Amino acid sequence: MVNISIDGKSIQVPDGTTVLQAARMAEVYIPTLCDHPELTPYGGCRLCLVEVEGARTLQPSCTLPVNNNMIVHTDTEKVREARKFVLTLIFSERNHFCPFCQVSGGDCELQNAAYREGMTHWPLMTNWQNYVVDASHPNFVLDNNRCILCRRCVRACGELVGNFTLGFEERGASSFLVADLGTPLGESTCVACGTCLQVCPTGALIDRASAYHGKDVQVEHHPSVCLGCSVGCGIDVLTRDNNIVRIEGNWDAPVNDGVLCNVGRFQPMEEKRERIVTPMVRKDGKLKAATWDEALDVVATHLKPLAGKNGGGVAALASTRLPSEALYSFKQLFGEKMQSSMVTSSEEGYPTAISADLAGELGKSFEGRLAEINTSDCVLVIGVDLVNNHQVAGFFVKRTLQNGTKLVVIDPQENPLDSKADFVVKALKGTDLDVIHGLSAALSQLGLAKTKAIGKAEETLKAASEKTGIGTETFLTVAKLLGSARHPVIIYGKGIMVDGGADTLRALVDLAHTAGVADESHSAMISTKGHANSLAAAQYKMDKPFEVNGHQAVYIALGDDVPSKRLSQKVEKVPFLVVQASYASQLSAIADVVLPVEMWAEQEGHYLNLEGRLQKASKSLPAPADCWSNDAVLKAVAARLGIEINENWKEQLYQRVPSVAFMEG
Amino acid sequence: MAKPKVSSDWMAGCAGCHMSLLDMDERILQVVELVDLRSTPITDLKVPDEKGVDVGILEGGINNTANEEVAHRMRSRCSILVALGDCAVFGGVPAMRNFFTIEESLRRAYVETESTEPGSKIPDDPELCVPTRVRSLQEVVPVDIFVPGCPPDADTIFYVLSELAQGRRPVLKGDKLSWQ
Repeated sequence: MVNISIDGKSIQVPDGTTVLQAARMAEVYIPTLCDHPELTPYGGCRLCLVEVEGARTLQPSCTLPVNNNMIVHTDTEKVREARKFVLTLIFSERNHFCPFCQVSGGDCELQNAAYREGMTHWPLMTNWQNYVVDASHPNFVLDNNRCILCRRCVRACGELVGNFTLGFEERGASSFLVADLGTPLGESTCVACGTCLQVCPTGALIDRASAYHGKDVQVEHHPSVCLGCSVGCGIDVLTRDNNIVRIEGNWDAPVNDGVLCNVGRFQPMEEKRERIVTPMVRKDGKLKAATWDEALDVVATHLKPLAGKNGGGVAALASTRLPSEALYSFKQLFGEKMQSSMVTSSEEGYPTAISADLAGELGKSFEGRLAEINTSDCVLVIGVDLVNNHQVAGFFVKRTLQNGTKLVVIDPQENPLDSKADFVVKALKGTDLDVIHGLSAALSQLGLAKTKAIGKAEETLKAASEKTGIGTETFLTVAKLLGSARHPVIIYGKGIMVDGGADTLRALVDLAHTAGVADESHSAMISTKGHANSLAAAQYKMDKPFEVNGHQAVYIALGDDVPSKRLSQKVEKVPFLVVQASYASQLSAIADVVLPVEMWAEQEGHYLNLEGRLQKASKSLPAPADCWSNDAVLKAVAARLGIEINENWKEQLYQRVPSVAFMEG
Repeated sequence: MAKPKVSSDWMAGCAGCHMSLLDMDERILQVVELVDLRSTPITDLKVPDEKGVDVGILEGGINNTANEEVAHRMRSRCSILVALGDCAVFGGVPAMRNFFTIEESLRRAYVETESTEPGSKIPDDPELCVPTRVRSLQEVVPVDIFVPGCPPDADTIFYVLSELAQGRRPVLKGDKLSWQ
């Protein structure tokens, strides 16, 4: 610990703390622009200059580490003058005229800093140079004329997202932000995650959808959870007059620390589907608007005789985008009370069933947390595309690579991560099991096995090499990377959950132990699962393949999900089809009864993410008058059928051993 | 103490700052009680007294030789010069044309604009003032007080005038400091 005095306040801080961090701990305000809590200090803007006793010149507090007995002053005349001078230089360098900028009036950190210093004007004349405006990106516009060269976006793109698309061309006052080596943003390697947009302190990066739609003082913030996939990123939904202005990453969210992907930030803003706002019942072959009473009566009349008719009754399928509360009501209504043999989820257990079964067999959880990736020095990815799905988990992997973390990708097909990998293993299709056996054997052969070495390692390796079409050298190289890593991580996905996937997964768990990825008390094996509530559906045992097989009715709780074509085809011939959904689809078009429900932003409920974190999604918008929550609809149907439903959704999540241990929040 | 004499004028602006001055409603009477309002663009007297005034207020940036004359005249005839509004303080919206050459701006305005007749030409009467790069007031004459805003709020203008009338120098901060 180090003793330091800031503006007369004495404070003890850990060694290595910067003066700026120490000042924040001491609750002393120092203005900043290029600094961002989630990014490495850069020392670019010089707004945080402070006076340090004994130092010849003013010092940037953001990059200056504390020394013992350091005496710092942040509010002297000299410091205040320097701040105004720094701001003057920034303002006069480019087009920083406030009246026609969309962030003016509270959302611009540059303007706020100037107001705080009481600046009525800047004394230097403006440099009337034109800089590039790049409007080629579908989601945002880059106006270099508003840029203050703080490089927050560049650092966010590299440090947080691991994408390294953004950079600067030219030097000094001529610098301007470019993508790649000067490619228009819209044609660049940008993955459109929008993290740069969220960190930009001025109006240099402008969100197309929300520009001029409301300033921070005019909007309401609703912290919630993204339902884009099972990662479950924390989001902040900004609304104004009951319209979503934009979605931002929640910096305080434990899962993603503010980072979002395109699916979480932009896709929900592009919703074009037609909303269902009233219950509908099929009359004379056509869906006609009905009251809730009429619709529920029709549902009850058809479902009542089917109760207890195992096999010939009602088949039920719920989307894994539904909250746990609704999934459990669904499970009770159709599984426990109506005793249907077919109660499952939209993912049919495809990405979760094998892991869930294995956890049951082992009698314990065997997967770990996403955060393992951040400290990993070797990541092995198998059976999953982390660039197009579970993108934020992919960002975590990509951003560790700059620390020297090794990446191994095992995928018989082309994987978008291949180009970033230190080693790509392209085995013959369907030989994942042999690849894993081969790796275990190679670890043993190299003497790197953390558990008891397997016998006849060389023979096993040779056999694996023949089956997979991969040379033993490759196995040995990968095994060496994995086996000599200090903190190896394995990320697996539904790619290995094919026929025989149970054996593959068992072998993968063995490999994890052999390689030191997992031991008795800890595991750095991560499975990506599927949609937002994949794991909860698995915990409620709604994880079997969906077949109609003679059922007389089908009830689909779709929520705001997009139904697959396959599903619609499967239920086409069913005598009675109920669809509860937020949006019109080919599935709702063939239903006999359509029940309108809330979409993601209108509902609240709990979601279990891929690492077993139970998180609450909250309500950001009021629903249309006739749209009920998924849970309320299911309870109303149950009531019509005289069925009682309990609220034990939370306890029931534990009805089987989860593949990953749960945690709250 | 005699009531301080106040004059105002406008240059390359939109008159919006003077409209904002009028937007203070009945408090304009209070202003008239506090100060001796001399020449303004919205009253009969158009030119500040040759003997001088205490406070000169200028709206707008300087975009031609005529504006320069107005600025120099006001500066030479007032003790305290106030730059009123973003155009006077920074150059404002008219200054956007500084990103182009004067020739380009004139061609756009007199020849290319969708509403101009074919064959229109840039006026070149020798009696006309000469357009220049757009400058903030402080680039042409020394300024004593800057009141930014587009336009400055009526409350802000009232505060500035009432402070000056009572011999104090207005300090803009909090709600009164806005560049938009």
